[in-house]
Amino acid sequence: MVSPAIALALLPLLITLIIRYRYFFVLLYRAVLIRWVRDCLSGLSREERAFQYILTHATPGDSQSILDTFDQWCSKVEFISNIGPKKGKILDRLLQEHCPITVLELGTHCGYSTVRIARSLPIGARIYSVEMDERNAAVAEKIIRLAGFDEDMVEQIVRPSDEVIPRLREDFGVERLDFVFMDHWKRCYLPDLRLLEDSGLLGEGSIILADNVIFPGAPNFLRHARRCGLYEVRVHRATLEYIRGIRDGMAELTFLGVK
Amino acid sequence: MPRHKLIASESDGKDNEFSIYYVEVEENFEGGKEKQATRDGKRRRVRNSEVGRRASEKRTTEAGNKKAEKKHDKRHKTARKEGEKHGRKQRRKNADAEEAEEESGKEKKNIKNERTKTLKLEDEKEKDVKKKRKKHVKNEEDDAKPEKTKHKDCHDMPLKEKKKKKKIKKPETISESESKSEPESQSDSDSESKDNPAVGVLGSLTPEELEKLKEAVDERKKLIATLRGKPWPMRKKLVVLRESQEFVEKYEGALGKGKGRKLYAYKVMMMKKWMKFQRDFENFKTACIPWEMKIKEIESHFGSSVASYFIFLRWMYGINMILFGLTFGLVMVPEALMGKPYGSLPRKTVPRGEEASAMNFAVLWDFGGYAKYSVLFYGYYNSQRAIGWLKFRMPLSYFLVGVGTVAYSYMVVIRTMARNANEEGGGDDTSFNFSWKTFTSWDYLIGNPETADNKFASITTSFKETIVEEQESRKDDNIHLTRFLRVLANFLVLCCLAGSGYLIYFVVRRSQKFALEGLEKYGWWERNEVNMVMSLLGMFCPMLFDVISTLENYHPRIALQWQLGRIFALFLGNLYTFIIALMDAIQLKRAEEEIVKKNMTIWQANLYNGTMPDNSTAPPFTAHPADVPRGPCWETMVGQEFVRLIISDTMTTYITLLIGDFFRAVLVRFLNNCWCWDLEFGFPSYSEFDVSGNVLGLIFNQGMIWMGAFYAPCLPALNLLRLHVSMYLQCWAVMCCNVPQERVFKASGSNNFYMAMLLVILFLSTLPAIYTIVTIPPSFDCGPFSGKNRMFDVIQETLETDFPAWFGKVFSYASNPGLVLPFLLLLVLAIYYLQSTSKTYKRVNMELKKKLQTQNEENKKKNKLAALKAANELEQQRSNSASDLGVNEESSSLDEAGHHRQAGQNGRFIHPSQSQHTQNSGPPVTSTHTTTRTPASRGHTSSGHLPGHPHQPQKNSHSKRR
Repeated sequence: MVSPAIALALLPLLITLIIRYRYFFVLLYRAVLIRWVRDCLSGLSREERAFQYILTHATPGDSQSILDTFDQWCSKVEFISNIGPKKGKILDRLLQEHCPITVLELGTHCGYSTVRIARSLPIGARIYSVEMDERNAAVAEKIIRLAGFDEDMVEQIVRPSDEVIPRLREDFGVERLDFVFMDHWKRCYLPDLRLLEDSGLLGEGSIILADNVIFPGAPNFLRHARRCGLYEVRVHRATLEYIRGIRDGMAELTFLGVK
Repeated sequence: MPRHKLIASESDGKDNEFSIYYVEVEENFEGGKEKQATRDGKRRRVRNSEVGRRASEKRTTEAGNKKAEKKHDKRHKTARKEGEKHGRKQRRKNADAEEAEEESGKEKKNIKNERTKTLKLEDEKEKDVKKKRKKHVKNEEDDAKPEKTKHKDCHDMPLKEKKKKKKIKKPETISESESKSEPESQSDSDSESKDNPAVGVLGSLTPEELEKLKEAVDERKKLIATLRGKPWPMRKKLVVLRESQEFVEKYEGALGKGKGRKLYAYKVMMMKKWMKFQRDFENFKTACIPWEMKIKEIESHFGSSVASYFIFLRWMYGINMILFGLTFGLVMVPEALMGKPYGSLPRKTVPRGEEASAMNFAVLWDFGGYAKYSVLFYGYYNSQRAIGWLKFRMPLSYFLVGVGTVAYSYMVVIRTMARNANEEGGGDDTSFNFSWKTFTSWDYLIGNPETADNKFASITTSFKETIVEEQESRKDDNIHLTRFLRVLANFLVLCCLAGSGYLIYFVVRRSQKFALEGLEKYGWWERNEVNMVMSLLGMFCPMLFDVISTLENYHPRIALQWQLGRIFALFLGNLYTFIIALMDAIQLKRAEEEIVKKNMTIWQANLYNGTMPDNSTAPPFTAHPADVPRGPCWETMVGQEFVRLIISDTMTTYITLLIGDFFRAVLVRFLNNCWCWDLEFGFPSYSEFDVSGNVLGLIFNQGMIWMGAFYAPCLPALNLLRLHVSMYLQCWAVMCCNVPQERVFKASGSNNFYMAMLLVILFLSTLPAIYTIVTIPPSFDCGPFSGKNRMFDVIQETLETDFPAWFGKVFSYASNPGLVLPFLLLLVLAIYYLQSTSKTYKRVNMELKKKLQTQNEENKKKNKLAALKAANELEQQRSNSASDLGVNEESSSLDEAGHHRQAGQNGRFIHPSQSQHTQNSGPPVTSTHTTTRTPASRGHTSSGHLPGHPHQPQKNSHSKRR
C-alpha cells in the first residue's frame, strides 16, 4: 500500500494545482454546482431565473439598466456566459465604428448581447438573432421586448444556425451581412463560418466577431480564419466574463472579399 | 550559401581574408544576377550602337555556349594586343599628362572589359536565366538613368560614380576592341590562351601606372577590410565588396615585378587554398565537439538560455568523464583484475542467508545481492596492501582517488569561475537601462519564427515593465501591503521547507526501523519510500514556490533569483536531512558491529572446538566464506543509499519528462481537435523548458555523486550514464514537446551564478564525506581500510613502509605545526595580496571606463561645435559667392561641401574616403548635380586612383585656378 509519507509528499502538488487553477475551480463551482442546486430547488431553468431577477430589479425600457442588472445577477448570484461588460465595450466600439445595417447574431441565449447590439445600432438597422433552444428564445424575446426593441429591429429565428444560414437569402431577403456576432456552440464556429462564406452574404468589409475564442476556445476556427486568407484577423484579448483570472479573447475578422 | 554567409558575417573584421573567400563563393550564387543584369544592359546598349555586325556577334556568343570558350581566349589575346597598342601610344604622348591619363583611362576600360567578358562567360554557363529576368529589367532601367548623364559629363564624373561609369563605358569599349581585333583574332586563336590576361595587359604598363594600380589594389583591400563598418545598406555592401574583390583578385597576382610576379600569384593562390583549408578545418573541429550541432539547433529554437543548460550539461559530462576515468581505471579495474576473485573472502561472498534471493531482479535493482558484493561498493575491496604482480597499492590508491576526485572538481570549478569572471569585466549595467534594452536585447541566434515572436513579445513586455518600473520607483503606493505579502510568502516558503525536511527525516527513520526488522516483510513502497519522498518533494515543492512567489510581486529577474535560492535551500535541506538520518544509521550499524565482533570470537572459538583462536586474519579453511559471520559494514550501506538515491532521482526525472512533457504534448496535440476548449493555448498547453530547475537538479545530482563516490566507486559511472542518456532524451524532449519560454533571462550572466552554486554544493557535499572519513573508524571486516584505526592511516603506513626512512623523517618535520602554521599564514597573506590587487585592477578598469565615457562625450561636444562653426562659415561663403554668381560650378561645389558638413554635423567623424561613399549612397547628390565637380577630388590621393581613369581632379584644380 502507498505509505502516508508518499501521500504527504504529493501535498505540494495538490496545493500548487489548487492555487494555480483556482479560477477554474471557481468557475466550476459557479457555473455547474450552483446551477444544478438551484435547478433542483426552484424547478425553473437558469435563464428563467435570470429573467425573474431582471423583471424585479431593472427599469423596463432602459436597456442600460437591463444590462447592468444582468451583469449584477451574473457576477453576484449565478453565472451565465454572456458577453459581459468588458468585452461588451469592445463590441460597442466596433458597432459604433462600422454602423452596420444588417446584423446576424448566432446564439441569442438570454438576449443580453442582442440588447447590447441593438442599442448601439443606427435607425433602420436590423438584427437577425438565431437561437436553437426554444425556452431560451422565449426568455430572450421577453427581455428584448422589455428593453424596448420591437420585431422590426430584432428578428428572432428559432432554428439551428446551420439550417438558417443557407436560407437567409430566401427566407428573410437578406442581401448582405455587415456584422456577424458568434456566441453559440464553439464547435459550430468553423462550420458556420464556412456556410457564411458559401452563402455569399459576406461583402467586402463585413465584420465577423467571435466570442470565447481562447476559452473555451475555437482553435480550428482561428486556424481557418488565419490561413484561408479571406480575412484580416485581430484577436482582442480580455478575460472571461465575470471571472477575472481566466484569459479569453474575441476574434475580429474583417472580410476582405473574394479574390 | 546561407551557411557561408553566416560564417562570413561571424568572422571579425581583421581576418578579412575569410570574408574574401566567402564572398567569392557567394558571388556564384547571388552575384550571377548582377552580372546577368550588367550583361543585359550591355546587350541592349550594344544593340543601340551603330554596327549591327557586332550586335549579331554578341547574340551569337550568348546563344552558343560551346563557342564561348574559344571566344574567351580570343578576347584575351586581342585585349592584350590592345593594351600593347595603347602602351605604345602612351609612350609617344608621354609629354602631355592629361592626354596620357585619358589613354590610361581607356587602358582601364580594356581591363574592365575583359573582366566583364570573363564574367559573362561564367554567366553563360548558368542555365537559370528565366528566374532572374525580372531583375534584369529593373537593372536595365537603373543603368539607363546614368547613361543619360554620361554624355553630358564625361569628365566631371564624381569619383564615387566611378563604378557605374565603368559599367556604362564597358559595352562601348567591348565593341571597339572587338571591331579592331576580329580580323587578327581569326588568324591566331589558341596561342597564349592560358596566359594571365591581366599580366599581359600589365606587361605594357609604365612603372607609374603600376604604382597607381598597386595603390588602387591597396585601396580596394582597405575598403574590403573596413567595409563591415560602413553605414551602407547590405545590398550595396555586397556589390562593392564583390567588385573590389574581383578587382583585387584580378590584379594582385600581376603586381609583382619581373620573375617574382608568378611566384606572387602562386603565393596568393596558395594563401587562398590555405584559408579554405583552415575554414574547413574549423568546421571539422566544430563537428568534432560532441553534441555541438544539437545544441546549436536548440539554441536557434529556444534562445541562448536553454542552450546554456545543455552546454552546462555537456561540461558536467566532461567532468564526470574524468572522475569516472579515475575511479574506473585506478580502483575498479585493478581490483577486478588483480584482486582476489569473488568467493575467496567473506567480504567478497554473498552470505548464506541471502544466497537464495541474491540474483532476483528486485534485489539487484536495490543494489543488494550480487551487486552489493562486487567492485561497485566499498565493502568488496580487500585490505591487502599490494595486489597482483604489479604490486598495486590498492588501499592507498583507493584513498588517493577519493581525495583526488574532490580536489580535481574543486580545481575545475574554481578555474571555470575565474575564467567566467574575466568575461564579465565589471561595471554598472544599470545606468543605461533603456539603451541596453534597445540595442542588446535581441538574440541573434534565434532561427525559428515562433521563438522570434516570443522574443519579440518578451522584449516589448520587458520594455513595458521597465517603464512601469521606472514610474513605480518614483511613487511607492501601499508599500505596507507588498511588504506584508512578501513576509507572508517567505513565511509560507519556510513552512514548506520545514515540512519537507521533517517529512524526509521521518521517512528515513522509518526506513531504518524497516531495515532493522528486515526489509523482506515490506513491499516495494516501503522499501523505496525515502527516495520516492525525496524525489516527489524535489519535484513539486518548486512548483509551489513558484505559485507562492506570485504573491510577492517582484520583478521577474529578482523573482527568479528568489526562486533559485528557495529551490537551493529545499534541495540542500533535503540532502542534509538525509545525511543526518544516515549518520544516525551509521551509529546504529556501528553498535551492531560491536556485537558482531564479540560474537565473532565466540564463533571462532566454537569452530576450533575449544582450541584457542589465534589472531591470524586468515579465515579457517574449514568454513566456507559464505558461512562466516560478518559485520554490517556501514560504508557499503552509505554507498548503497546514495546509489539508490541517484537511481530513483534519475528515474523520476525521466518519468516526469515522459509524462509531464511528452504525454502532455501528445494529448494536447491530438485531443485538441475534439476538445471543447483550446488545449494548445488554453489550460494545459505545452510545457516550457525549466532551465533553473533543471540546472539545480543537475547540480544537486553532482553533489550526491561527490558525497557518495568514496563509498561507492560505481557512482561516477552511473552518473556518466545518466548524463549521457539525459543529454539525448532532453534534447529530443525539448525539440519535440516544449515551447520556447515566455520569460527570458540572460544566459551569460547566470552562468557564473550556477558555477557559484556548484562550488557551494561541492563544499557542502565534501563536508560530510570528510567528516565520516576523519572521525568514524572503518569497519573491521570490509573495505580497503579494514583493521585500521582511521582511513587516512593508509598514508602513514605507506610512508613508513614504501618510502625510505629519511623521507618519513622529512615528512614528519614538514608536518610539524611549527612549519605548517607559518606556511598557512603565508598562504593567507598571498591570497589577501592577490585579492587586493585584483580589486585595485578592477577599480582602475572602472575608472578607465569612466574616462573613456567622458572623453567620448567631450569629443561629441567638440564635433558639434566644429560642425556649427563650419556651418556658419558656409553661410558666410554662400553669401559671398552669391555676389559673384558667374560660375555655377562654384556654387554647386559648395553645395557638395555643405553636404559634407551636414554629414559631419550628425556628430560622427567622417573620414574623407568614407564620406565619398556616404555621398554615393545618397542618389539625389549624384543624380541631380549633373554638372557638379566631385567633392572627392580633394581626397583623391588618399583614396587612390585607378590607373588610367580620367583624372578629373587636375581639371578641377585647373578650373579653380581659372
